[in-house]
This record gives sequence, structure tokens and C-alpha cells, in this order.
Amino acid sequence: MFDLPDEFTPQFLARLEELRIRTRRQYAGMGKGAHLSPKRGSSLEFSDYRHYSTGDDFRHIDWGLYGRTDKYYIKLFKEEEDLLTYIFLDASASMMYPAADRKFERAVAIALALAYVALTSGDRVMIRVLAGSGQKLEPAFVYGRHRIVELARKLREIKPGGQYDFAQALAREMLSIRRAGKVFVVSDFLMMLNSVTKGLGLFLAASMDLTAVQILGGREIQGQGLEGDVEVVDSESGERMRVTVGSREREQYKQTLMRLTREIKSFCLKRGLHYSLHLTDQEFQSFFLRAVTDLGLAH
Amino acid sequence: MGLLYPGALIFFAIVPALVLAYLARERPVRVTVSSVLAFRALRGLRKERFGGLPRFNWMFLVELILLSMAVLAMAGPYIVRKSYPIAVVIDNSAAMQAKLDSGATRFEDAIGKISRRIAATDANGQITVFATAPTPHRIAAPFDSNTEALIAIRAMKPTDAPNDGNSVASLLGSLLSEGRFSKVIFVGSQAVADPVPPGLDTILVDDAIANLALGSFELRREMFGEEALHARIAVANFSSQPKQIEVVVEGDGRRLGDAHETLAAGESGSLEFRALTPASVYRATLMPDDAFPLDNVAYATGGSVKKVSILFITPMPADAAGLDSIPGVSVRTVAPGSFAPEDLRNADLAVFEYSAPKELPGVNSLIVMPPPGDPVFDFQTTPATAIQIAGWRSTDQLTDSVNFRMLNFGQGEFLGVHPWMAAVVSGQGGGLLLRGERQGHRFIATGFNPFPYLGRRNLPMSVLTLNILSYLAGLGASSGGYHTGQPWLVPAGVETVMLPSGRKVKATPGTLFTEVSAQGIYELSGPDVPATPRPVNLDDFAVSDFQSTPMLKVETHRAFASREGLTEKAPLSAMVLAAILAIGALEAMVVYRRRRKPLEA
Repeated sequence: MFDLPDEFTPQFLARLEELRIRTRRQYAGMGKGAHLSPKRGSSLEFSDYRHYSTGDDFRHIDWGLYGRTDKYYIKLFKEEEDLLTYIFLDASASMMYPAADRKFERAVAIALALAYVALTSGDRVMIRVLAGSGQKLEPAFVYGRHRIVELARKLREIKPGGQYDFAQALAREMLSIRRAGKVFVVSDFLMMLNSVTKGLGLFLAASMDLTAVQILGGREIQGQGLEGDVEVVDSESGERMRVTVGSREREQYKQTLMRLTREIKSFCLKRGLHYSLHLTDQEFQSFFLRAVTDLGLAH
Repeated sequence: MGLLYPGALIFFAIVPALVLAYLARERPVRVTVSSVLAFRALRGLRKERFGGLPRFNWMFLVELILLSMAVLAMAGPYIVRKSYPIAVVIDNSAAMQAKLDSGATRFEDAIGKISRRIAATDANGQITVFATAPTPHRIAAPFDSNTEALIAIRAMKPTDAPNDGNSVASLLGSLLSEGRFSKVIFVGSQAVADPVPPGLDTILVDDAIANLALGSFELRREMFGEEALHARIAVANFSSQPKQIEVVVEGDGRRLGDAHETLAAGESGSLEFRALTPASVYRATLMPDDAFPLDNVAYATGGSVKKVSILFITPMPADAAGLDSIPGVSVRTVAPGSFAPEDLRNADLAVFEYSAPKELPGVNSLIVMPPPGDPVFDFQTTPATAIQIAGWRSTDQLTDSVNFRMLNFGQGEFLGVHPWMAAVVSGQGGGLLLRGERQGHRFIATGFNPFPYLGRRNLPMSVLTLNILSYLAGLGASSGGYHTGQPWLVPAGVETVMLPSGRKVKATPGTLFTEVSAQGIYELSGPDVPATPRPVNLDDFAVSDFQSTPMLKVETHRAFASREGLTEKAPLSAMVLAAILAIGALEAMVVYRRRRKPLEA
């Protein structure tokens, strides 16, 4: 529908519109919005008092406090601004394998769903694609729910491929981000753990609220459908390895992969980050709506 | 260690081919995966194939071993080992029945001596045992142990047949030349003439005591068909002292006569018994009994009791008339056009008058004035209006007592030179009476016609006719006798022969009967043939003369290989095949158990 993935049915979109992005910190936005901002503003949420000065709006004088202290104080309120939402989409070659799992398509769907939640909440969204080929998205925020179609069309042009160093790539991206906000990283995180933690740690250092969404294929986690003697080739590094896969080896492979995901999850949770694991053999809509909390969303 | 068929090793090329095929089959499929991160953790799985250690597959390894062993078995592996095979040749001839001073026979003495020798032999090789009579032969497959050989040797019995010295010498020579034996032991009564070939070990039995012997026992009639028989029995004294001997003749158990003779040392003679009354079986017994009882008895049968069946094939049946008047003779006439070879089945002899058979007859036959150019005999005939006799063999059985000057043939035909028949009576233009043997049968061809048989009205011709018929019927003359160890043709219609021991043996007419190693009366019978006795005698003074037993002259055509043992190739193929079967069975069991486990779970 309107170049959106098939999963984006009207009913699903309606359910997404009921969600909003939840942050654990307040970030300054670029315009009026629904999220409290560290700035003083005109929201209903009290922030502080200050002495009345000439020119201040009489409507903000706290008359109760004047009665008790006989002094004029102006009530200050927090500003409500939009949230700057950054979505980093992993488009490296590993997202293309196993092809039957269609990991990248599912990652795009999650990115679009998160973007749609943000746009319908009046937030600004910037999607950054790491690696991959095709027309690069401009490093600019989009605003307004109608822009979701544009995002979907552009993401559809992206073909996963190539490799990158996760930490270095995010460090480069951080240079272009001037304002903090909510960050979603959608990736399979099939890389060395220290590279993952180093990359995610950059956002912590920049006081950004982060949600890591890990995408793994259903076949991928079950051993990629391999059996017997095979020569496996790393889709990114090209590294080759000859292995013999049997039931025992397949179980060992699965345990290793799950241990990697547990360590990433542990890293995130220990640092107050959101983490969610999506397996492509799960039904997308039900996953997204059930994992609202893990994704850092709220109703 | 070596290989009998090293060429079979070429099949070892299959092994590397199989390994290559296995490795090719095991070459991993290349698969691009998202990341090899988790694969790195797979412990012990990173096994290289080409250029590295192949993955151990014990079943493939076992099958590779089985294949290699099969190729090895095809190549015939063997090991070379030293063995001492021995050949033992035991004289079991009639002479070995002679008794020694100790009371034991020579054969018992021989068995005792060879048993002690074998028992003292270090058992490391096979023992092959041969017997010499009636013809040299191996008694059984080679024995692997001394005990087996001794059991077989002790079960041997001497025969009534004499040795053929040349055959025994030839056997010994062959055994020594073959190189298969480390030693050849001959045990018997005959010494080996010098030089004794190396490798031959001779064990001589002790000399027998003095011996008196009966020789040939001939019964004949003066005339064919005459009832009275004339017996002549040869006797000999092989002792060193003059001996008074007595011979008693019995007919069917009744004493018919006796005769006495004094023989000097080493002298032989004959005793005549005239006009013996007809009997079925005659037995001559020499007295006094001595150390060799076998030659103290001789048997004979009366020809008068035997019916001679003649098939007369002639276009003139009247010519067969008169033969019926001969006692014991029955005649059946058949026209040449209706004759079939099957008609000879129940005939003892056939007469072809003015005709010739289209195939060689299966019985003794007389061909009278045959047509020229017949396909079987191919006689070259020259008709003559008046034939005259030019010569004859004066000492021949056929011409015996015939007054040729009184014969008047009239017209007839001369028979040209024949490839296998010789002239006994000749005329001025060629042969008049030819005789020959073919395929065990006797054949006579005449260029004159002796028929019809007129008896005393034409006595010279009748004597010649009776001589011819006697020769063809096998009666009378010495050549009609049967000796131990000498096979004879089974007569027409005979299907069973009862041996002197009472055992009955199946026989086929026209074939050689070989179970003739016992002296005595053989009874021949068939569905259409009444039981006919046939005497078989030792009848050989050479056997009885222990004092001058000829020495064996053993010659070898190749130098005797070694007395120090022979190198023997012991094949290992059977063991390799057994190992293949065992390993295969083991593998099958393991595979079966492996497959069964999940089912039980």
C-alpha cells in the first residue's frame, strides 16, 4: 500500500498511530511537539519559579504564592517539543543472508514502523543507512506522516551489500548529528561483540536514548539449513571455513549464536538501553505490537 | 611371501580411484552465510579434505581394507615354506600273498615295515600312498599326517593280480622326476636294479619259502561241439629240491581225476587230463599246499555248457542249415535287407555271407565273400573261378588240424592287402582268409564260402569252419583264458557280473570290465542271458617264481630335486577370503546394531 511493505495494513497503521516514542530523558526538539523538552515553555508541566520582571505575562504570575509571600513570582513551565528520532539501518551484506529469511526486508519494515510511530507523533525522523548500495538517503529529518511513503520508496531502493566496521561507522555518523535524541539501531549485530558494544557506547556517551533491534533469520538461527561438509563463506569478509554440520554441530552453532545475542542484550539492559530481538519467522505485526516496551515505545 | 598372479595387482588402481571418488564426494558445498562468527565456535569441525586430513570414516576405511584384501586374494599370495612330502609305493601284487617263515605274508611284513618307517618319520609334509596292482595307482588323496597315512596303509589288502614291472618302474621314475617329493619309499618284493636313483628308498620284504605252482589251465575240445574236454595244466617247481606233486581236478565239486608228476628243482611241466566229463566249473588243486596258496588253485569252465548264439546274415538262409547240428550252437538267420545293428544285441558272433555291415559290428564276426568296396572294411576283392591255396600259417589256431590239400574251394575271390587284417591263408591271387581285431572284437574275412556246414561229409572244410567259429566264440585255445589284472570285454546281453567275493557289479556290454583283481569264478548274467561262469586265474609263472623275480629298473628323466626338503608355496588366498568374510560380517553387525538403536529408543 503506497509502496509500504505488505505488513503495513490499514489496521496495523492504525495500531501504530496509537503508539508514541518513549524516552528516558528529555531532549530538545526543533519545534513544537509532544515530548517534554528541557527548555522552558508553555506546557502544563510545572518547571520552576522566577521573580516577576517587567514585561512578563501577568497570566503566569502565581497568585497563591503572592498571597503567602506578598512577592510576585512567575511560574515557569516545560516546553513540549518534537523528538529527534534517528534510525540507523544496517544494510551490510550479512543482512542479505540467508536469502530465504529476508532479513533486510524485515529490518526495513521495522525501521518504517518506528518512523511511522515517530512521524504520527509529530516527531522528526532521520533514517541513516549503514553500508549497502543504491540511492543514499539525505542526512535530513523528515516531518509529517505523509513522508512515510517517501521513506518507504527510498528504502526500497537500498540493496544490502558490503561491509563496514560498526563502531567506526557510527562514530562517523555521530559527527553529523548535532542534536541528541532517540536512536534506533536495526541490525543483525553479527559482528564481534566489542565492536557492537563500542558502537552502541558512542550513543551513551552522547546522552542519547538508544534502542537496539536485532534481526536474525529463522533459518539462520537454526544453522542456516546446512548439513554435512560445507565450506561457509562470510558474506562480508569473504572468510572461508570448512565445517561438517550435523545435529550436534547445529545445536552448538545455535547455542553460540544465542549466547552472542544474550551478551548484546545484557550489555543494553545493564546500561538502560532498550533491546529487542526479532526472528524473521515471527509474524511481524504481532511481534511489533507485543514488543512495544522493549522497542522503547509506549501507548 | 610372493604372489602367484602378480598381474592382478593392477586392480589396486581401483583403490586410489575410490579414494579420489570418496574425497570428491566429500568435497564440501560452498555456501555464503551471513557471518562465520558462530561457525568458528564449532569445535573440531574444521577438517580440511584436499590438502589436509580427511574426515575419518571408519566404514569407508573398512571397505577400503576389504577391497584391498580382495585384490590381494586375486593376486594369489603365498608363503614359501619347507616341507618333506613323501611318496610311499606299496607292492600289493599277488606275489605279496606268499607266506614267510614267520607265518606272516609278505604283504603283512611290508605293512609292518613301512608303518614303522612312517611312524619314525618327522611329520612335516604330506604322505601320498600308491599301490602297484592291478595297475599302479594312488589309493587316496595325500594324507596330511602320519596317523592318517598309517590308518589307510593298514587298511590295504593285497590283490590277486600280478605287478607290471615296467609300470611300477615307470611310476617310481615319475615320482622321482616330478620333484614333488623329498623321498620316495618303495616297499615290495622286487629289488631295484643298480644304480638306484637318489631319493628312492627301497624296503624289501623277506624272501618267501619254496613254492610250487599251477600255471595255465586249458580246456579244449578236439572238435568244436564235441562234449569231451581235454585239460592241460601247467605245473612248476620253484623250490630248490625235487618235488612230487599231485594235481586234482574237480568239476562242479565232483572229483574228476588226478595226476602226479615229479619235478626237479626249477623245472616246469604239464599234466594232461583227457576226456573230462562236462561240468560247469572246473577246479584244479595242487598238492601239497605251500606258502603261496594263490597259485595252487586254477579254474576253468567247460565250453560245452555255453550256448553260442550265431546271427547269420545271408541272402541264402539255406547256407545256415547244418550249424544247428553243432552241440550248444543256436543260429538265427536274417536277410541283409532287414538286418539292423540292434539284431546283434543277443548274439555272440555274427556271420555276414555275401554281405558286409554298414558299421563295425559290436560282436566278433565272420564276413564270407564280402562285396567289394564296402564302407566299413573296404575289402579289395578279385573274383576267381578257380582258387588254389598257396600258403597258410601252420601254427595258427585257425589252421590247426586243417588238411588244406584236401580242400577244394572252387570259385571264390581273392582279398587284397587290408589295412588292419592279416592273411592267415593265401591263394595265388591274394588272401583267402584274413584275420584282425578292431575295437576289442575279432573279425575274419574269407574269400571262399565254408557254408553250408556239412560235418563229417566235408571234414577238411568242417575242421576249418569249427576253427573259425571257435576263434570267434573265444573257446578252447589259450588266448581264451582270463587273468587277474587283465580287463576283458563284457559280452553281449550281460548286465551284471558277480565277483568271486559274491559282490555284484553292474556291467555294460561292449565295455572293458576292470574289476578283475581277484582270482576265481566270475558269474556273468543279464535279462536274456543265463548265468555264465568265467574263470580268472593268476596263470603266470613269473609271479610264482620268487627265486628269480626280475629287478625293477628305475630310470629318471630329471635329477632328483632334494632330500633336504622342498620349498612349497602355501597359498594364502583362502585365509584372506576368510578374513574378508569375517570383517564383512563384523561390519554388518556393527551397522545393524547402529541402525537398530534409534528404533529401540
